[in-house]
This record gives sequence, C-alpha cells and structure tokens, in this order.
Amino acid sequence: MAVDITLLFRASVKTVKTRNKALGVAVGGGVDGSRDELFRRSPRPKGDFSSRAREVISHIGKLRDFLLEHRKDYINAYSHTMSEYGRMTDTERDQIDQDAQIFMRTCSEAIQQLRAEAHKEIHSQQVKEHRTAVLDFIEDYLKRVCKLYSEQRAIRVKRVVDKKRLSKLEPEPNTKTRESTSSEKVSQSPSKDSEENPATEEHPEKILAETQPELGTWGDGKGEDELSPEEIQMFEQENQRLIGEMNSLFDEVRQIEGRVVEISRLQEIFTEKVLQQEAEIDSIHQLVVGATENIKEGNEDIREVPHL
Amino acid sequence: MASAAAATAAAAAVAASIRERQTVALKRMLNFNVPHIKNSTGEPVWKVLIYDRFGQDIISPLLSVKELRDMGITLHLLLHSDRDPIPDVPAVYFVMPTEENIDRMCQDLRNQLYESYYLNFISAISRSKLEDIANAALAASAVTQVAKVFDQYLNFITLEDDMFVLCNQNKELVSYRAINRPDITDTEMETVMDTIVDSLFCFFVTLGAVPIIRCSRGTAAEMVAVKLDKKLRENLRDARNSLFTGDTLGAGQFSFQRPLLVLVDRNIDLATPLHHTWTYQALVHDVLDFHLNRVNLEESSGVENSPAGARPKRKNKKSYDLTPVDKFWQKHKGSPFPEVAESVQQELESYRAQEDEVKRLKSIMGLEGEDEGAISMLSDNTAKLTSAVSSLPELLEKKRLIDLHTNVATAVLEHIKARKLDVYFEYEEKIMSKTTLDKSLLDIISDPDAGTPEDKMRLFLIYYISTQQAPSEADLEQYKKALTDAGCNLNPLQYIKQWKAFTKMASAPASYGSTTTKPMGLLSRVMNTGSQFVMEGVKNLVLKQQNLPVTRILDNLMEMKSNPETDDYRYFDPKMLRGNDSSVPRNKNPFQEAIVFVVGGGNYIEYQNLVDYIKGKQGKHILYGCSELFNATQFIKQVKYIPLLFVAIGIFQKRERKPLTHLNQLQPKPSSYTKIRCCHGRLRKP
Repeated sequence: MAVDITLLFRASVKTVKTRNKALGVAVGGGVDGSRDELFRRSPRPKGDFSSRAREVISHIGKLRDFLLEHRKDYINAYSHTMSEYGRMTDTERDQIDQDAQIFMRTCSEAIQQLRAEAHKEIHSQQVKEHRTAVLDFIEDYLKRVCKLYSEQRAIRVKRVVDKKRLSKLEPEPNTKTRESTSSEKVSQSPSKDSEENPATEEHPEKILAETQPELGTWGDGKGEDELSPEEIQMFEQENQRLIGEMNSLFDEVRQIEGRVVEISRLQEIFTEKVLQQEAEIDSIHQLVVGATENIKEGNEDIREVPHL
Repeated sequence: MASAAAATAAAAAVAASIRERQTVALKRMLNFNVPHIKNSTGEPVWKVLIYDRFGQDIISPLLSVKELRDMGITLHLLLHSDRDPIPDVPAVYFVMPTEENIDRMCQDLRNQLYESYYLNFISAISRSKLEDIANAALAASAVTQVAKVFDQYLNFITLEDDMFVLCNQNKELVSYRAINRPDITDTEMETVMDTIVDSLFCFFVTLGAVPIIRCSRGTAAEMVAVKLDKKLRENLRDARNSLFTGDTLGAGQFSFQRPLLVLVDRNIDLATPLHHTWTYQALVHDVLDFHLNRVNLEESSGVENSPAGARPKRKNKKSYDLTPVDKFWQKHKGSPFPEVAESVQQELESYRAQEDEVKRLKSIMGLEGEDEGAISMLSDNTAKLTSAVSSLPELLEKKRLIDLHTNVATAVLEHIKARKLDVYFEYEEKIMSKTTLDKSLLDIISDPDAGTPEDKMRLFLIYYISTQQAPSEADLEQYKKALTDAGCNLNPLQYIKQWKAFTKMASAPASYGSTTTKPMGLLSRVMNTGSQFVMEGVKNLVLKQQNLPVTRILDNLMEMKSNPETDDYRYFDPKMLRGNDSSVPRNKNPFQEAIVFVVGGGNYIEYQNLVDYIKGKQGKHILYGCSELFNATQFIKQVKYIPLLFVAIGIFQKRERKPLTHLNQLQPKPSSYTKIRCCHGRLRKP
C-alpha cells in the first residue's frame, strides 16, 4: 500500500527553511519567496492552448449536463399520461435535438481550429506530441457525449416508429371496408357505363350485380335485396384473398423494416471505418505519388547514362 | 457467520493475484493517488509520466501504452532524457530514490518544467533525500507545485499472476554470481541482502499480508529471512506508521490464514537451471530472447536470388508481447510443445472457417437481384452480415495472435530440430529420475549432430550433479576429453565440482522423483494433418508430473509433513511478540497460501513445476518469486566466471578485507559469511 508522505515533505520544507535561516543562507524561500512564486506564476506562459482546451472541455461539459438533465423527460414515453410536471412535448424534444446538434458542431469546429493552431510556433517535439494527445482526448470526450445524445434520439425514433406501427394495426378493418367501398365506387362508374352499353360485357353486369348487394348492405339507398348464396361465397373468397394479400404485404414490409435497421447499423460501422481509413489512404496516396516521381527521375537518370 | 464469510472473503482477497494488486496500485498512482473509477462521461484529465529504468521495468509488463493513454497520460518519458518544458501539465514521477534521480528531479524543479509534481518513489525514500528535494523546491520557489509525495512500495516486477522477480536493472548486484562468489566483502553482502529484503518487504506490503517465514539453515536464504523478519517486526511494532494495519490490510485483517513464505537458496538444486525443457513458456525462455514478457525474434527475410555482390540477406527483428490478454498463451504456456503445435494448427483452422463464413456471405450478397429465391434468405443474412462485420475486430485480433504464436512456435521448433533438444530432455529426465539409461552419455556428448557445446555441457553437469557416486577419475578424464573435443569450456565443471563437494556434507543430494517420460510415438496427428509444424523426427514426449526439489520442499512445509530435509528449517513469525526463532512451528494446520522465493535466481521450469503441483490442490495458491530470472545459457555464463573457490572448507577465520584488484587473484579471503554461504548443507559441528 502506498504511503502518503506529503505531510512529511512539508515538514521537511519547514525544517530546511529554518535551517537555512539559521545558517544565514540566502535562499529564494521565505516571505519574499512566496511573493516571488506568485509573480513567477503569472508571466509564465500560461499557454493559450491549454486555456482554450479547457474552455472547450467546459463547453462539452455543459452540453453533457444539459443532456443528462433533460434525459429523463426526453425518454419518457408516457408523457401524455403524466402530469404537467414531467411532460415534454415533441416540439420541445425537437428543440433539444437541434440545440444539441448546433452545440456539437461548434465544439468539433473549435477542436479542429485548435488542432490547426496547436502546431504553430512550437518547436519541441514533446510539446507537439502532448498537444496532439490532448486534442485526441477532447475529441474522445466529445464523441462520448454525442453518444449520449444519439442514444436518446435513437430511443425516441424507435418509439415513434413503434407507435406508428401500432396505430396502423387498429384501423385495418376500417381500411379494408374503405377499400371495398372504394372498389365499389370504382365499380359503380363502370356499371353506370355498362348501363349505357349493356351488350359489351357481362362483367360490368356482374360487378353491378356484385356492388348492388354491397350497396344494399351499406344501406346506400339502392335498396336491392338480391343476395344469392353463391355471391356471398364469392365475396367471402375475395375478402379472404384480399386479407391474405394484405397480410403478406404487411409481413414483407416488416421484414424490410428489420433489414433497413440492420443496414443502417452496418452503414454506421462502415462510415466509421471509412473515416478511419481516410487518413491512411491519404498518406498512401502521398507515398505513391512520391514513389512515381522518384521512379520517373530514376528512369531519366538511367537514360542519361549511355550518353556519358 | 459473519466472521466465516469474512474469512473466506479474506482468503480470496489474499489470493487475489499479485499482478492485479500491483496494477491497481499503479493505476491509483496515475490517477493522482486517488482510487480510479471508470466514468464513461468523465472529463479528460491529462498528465505526463516520468519514470526511470526501474519504473519502466515495473510498468511495462502490466500496462500497455494504450492503457496508459486511457488513464490520461499524453507523454511518457525517461527521467534522464532531454525533456522540454510543457506548460500547464501535471507530471507524475515514478522513480527510485537514488542520488542521481533526486538530483535530476531537483533540476526539473529548478527549470520549472511542469505545472505540478506528483512524486512517487518506488521504495521508501530516506529523510535526508526528502530534505534535498525540499531544499531544491524552496530554492526554485516551487514548494506549492509539489502536490503530493508518496512512497509506493512497488519495488518488484510482476510477470505473471503468480510470479514475480526482484529487479532487472541492477540484477548483477543480486545475481547468483554476486551472492556466491568467494571474494565478496561483508559490506557488499550487506548491500545485496538489503536490496533483496527491501524488495521482498515491498512485495508483502503490496500483498497486504504478514507471512510466516521458513528457511533452510546456513544459506544466503537464512540471512534474507533474518533481515526480513527484523524489518517486518519493526514495522509492525511502529503502531503509528505500520503498513499492515487499518484499511491498508483490508479484509486480510480478518484472515485466520497467513501465507507461508519459503525462502530457499539456489544452491539446493543446480540441476534445474541447467535442465532442458519441454513446456512452451520455459522453452521460449530457454531458446529465444525472452525478457519481461517480451520475446525478440530475428527473422531472416526470404532468400533473395539477387546476383552476386548484391545486398546480403537482411534479418528482420520482430518482438512480440506475451500478455495476459492473449488467451492462447494463457492456456498453453505450460503445455508440452507438441500440444502447442497442434493447438496452433487447430486455432488456425477454426479461424479460416470463420473467415470463409464471412466471405460466403459476401458472395450471397452478390446474388441479390439475380435470384428471387435468394431474397427470402436475405433477411437472415442481413442480420448475419451485421454480426459478421461487428465481429471483424475480434477476428482480426485472433489472426494476429495466431500469427504471433505461429512465428514463435516455428522459431522454437527450429531450435529443437537443430539441437535435438527432445533427445536431451528425455535423457536428462531419465538421469534425474535415476532410471536406466539406454544410451551412454559419452555417445551423446561425442555425437556431432546433437546440440551445441553448451547443450552437451549442460547434460554432463546434470549427470555429474545427479549421480550418487562421482565418476572415477578415468571416466572423468574421458568425459572431459569428449567435452573439450566438442568445444566446451570446462570452467563450469570446476565450479560444480566444488559445489558438489560441499553438498556432500549435507544429507543426500536432492533427488528428483522417480517418474519417466513416455515417448508417444513418432507419428502423431500433427504430421498427418499436414500442418506447418512438421515434427518429423521429433519425439512427441509426454511429461509426467514429477516434483523438483523446490516443489518437494514446499510440499513438506505447506502440508506440515515431517521430512528430514525440511525439519530443521528455521521458523520466523514477525507477529509474535518474542522475537527469537524457534524451530518449532507454532502453526499446526496446513497452509492455504504460500510464496516460494529462490535467493540466487530461478527459472520458468521451477515455476511451471509449482503451478502443476498446485493445480491438483483445491483452494490453494502459490506465488513464485526469485531474485533474478535466468535461462541455462545465462546461468552457465555466471558460473563460468566465478573464481575458483579454494578447497579448504575448514577455514572460517575472519580476515582483514583487502579489495581484490584482479579477479584472478586466487588469494582467497573468506568473509565471515563463508560459514553460511559456501556450505550448502548442514554445518559440521567442530
């Protein structure tokens, strides 16, 4: 276990001070010394860099606090059932999203700026390395805070999608009836036409015959009461067919949804990787360009040789 | 109830690996001496780490550069290098409190290199040196900048969860040769002993336990035991500053089980350092350049068919770190080599299968739009693709490890084949277990194909050490001639002769157990699967568990077995009020925890033997430590240069110390320690 000997150190400092006084050794310590220390601190290059870096960090910290503060309300799905206190409307959420995005953009711009300036006027390799590492840390911090934000948002988007899906399921019977009424409306017009052209097709008559009982069931005012059992059966079959079609469509849509989610995740991974590789590819590009030039020069040199 | 739970928790706590403890201590130090908690949205703090070579050796097996980065360290620099001032940055120092280091630190303070200073000393700093720093800080008006000063008590290097060495930088100081040379002076011996004891003390402070110490009589180990006991006792008595009380000890305070420290001297068993080995880690250490968990390989680049006069073959140097994260290494470092080769092959095959799986997905993706039927498969495959892509980093890491081990194992295999190490290993096992030998020793020594001269020397030395009766003069001459013909230097033999003469006085020389190795046949699965590890002609030997002398001693002491070899070991208990040694152990129960420390040097063969021994015992833990780690080559080198002892054992007078100007001066001046040191057994009472 480590032992804290800081107090021991301070005690040694006192001892040395008193000893030096006793010996009359001139030393920078003592009362003057402390003032000297204060003076010495201020003209020391405080470093533009580090104060600005700290500023950026405090900004990011504010963003993080802001996000964390409103996180609970943001995520809360049942806000419409809760009391006024915990409610957050969608507009408020959008506002938060927008603000957060602007903030993140400014922060990353600030980091880029710092990066560009960090290497000016500095000749020491160690300081350069140190500053690069510091900027890496800050970027990493920003990324982590952004993750907070994107997690929140992903939850929200997912909720919305789920809600929409749920809300789609309810009016299904309505949509079916609506569809049948629309089909009946569609078939009404050809039936009207067929009245004018009775000899053309049997089909419109059939449609007429089909729609009429439907009209009848809906009480549309046509008042025809013919509903033969075969026709009922046919209607049933058609209904079933339509239901089956809708179901399979619905399944496919769900599958596609799932796949799209996966693909978006993949895309995220890929973009990350591509961005990572961008820098490498740039450097490779440079190297290759340099290499081709070297080879060109080499070839020229070789060509000159026989002429010597 | 509570106490029982606490006791088990405490037992587990003490058993927590030494590596974990040291890593935790280091991380806390790097976190400005405040316990480190991971916080995913914490603000970054940055700092600079300054260490000396000692600190470097301690940190490098435990924390990688990436982990240092995660702790916020932007730069890590050597103390004695050119360092530029970096404004506004706290600096963490991790150094030994030596004169040079203190001077350099004072210089740093004067030059105002950093904003604040966190000073951490690897072992305790003396009051006077602390005042030197205080002086410099005052002169530089930097007293408030020195934020914290700590004594870390981390003066040892942990290599494995259960293995540690004392130091690497100044290992000549505490080497086997340093301890056993006859021309050593009293003061030098004191220094050596103090160094060893300091490190052991730091070790127990970090472990958080006060051990019960047992050691053999009349050896350097005894001296270490006496000093360590004294130091622990002093520290325990000093209630105010004791390092073993209060929250530092933690749960260990409730432990009813204290660990056992067994201090042995290298001289009880000189055959093991010379032994050829067959397990992976020990082989890597023996045959390749393996140092602080890093192995350095020289690879020759492929044959270049360049015209005459063109560039010679270039050798690439590659180094690999064998870390605890490397699952293959953790699983197989104690396995016999053929098993390792097989496992690498298996890993490679499973990796290839996974790679093919990912590639197959790619081709299925390409079918989209061409085949309607494939679309229904797609929905699964999209998910598969995601999981494949997200598992890519893992796959790449696996590939890297497989490459690493393929290279290392291939290098080892080359050595085995070139030097016929399997033959040596088998033969030595037979010698050490006293079974009948099918080939004559002389044959092997004279065989020009088998092994380097050093291998032959090792074999012969083991034979010489293990035989009950010394070979006759004529035989010896024959052997000597054969060895010289093979190109060996005979100095080590002289030393071993002397050593053997001393040990003769003791009880029967260490016997190595009585089991054999069984060759499993030349044709193995490895050959049949056409692997790249063509082990043709290499015997597939199976190791049978046999206990080396050190393991046997441990077994006796830990299980409280009675055995003439260990019965008269001294007993020290620093916690007992009456501070004199009694040979009667107070504790009658077997120990659950033990630490074996070899004064004079150890190696991986012993370590592996202990690990194998304790595997069979439930709930028991062993830690292995030594003052330095050497392989056979290094050991022989040390032994070669120990000036010959003069033969007269009976001279124990204390003479005037005169510094030896030339090592070859064979005017032996036995120190008062000769009594204890040179006799590797019981003192003959006059």
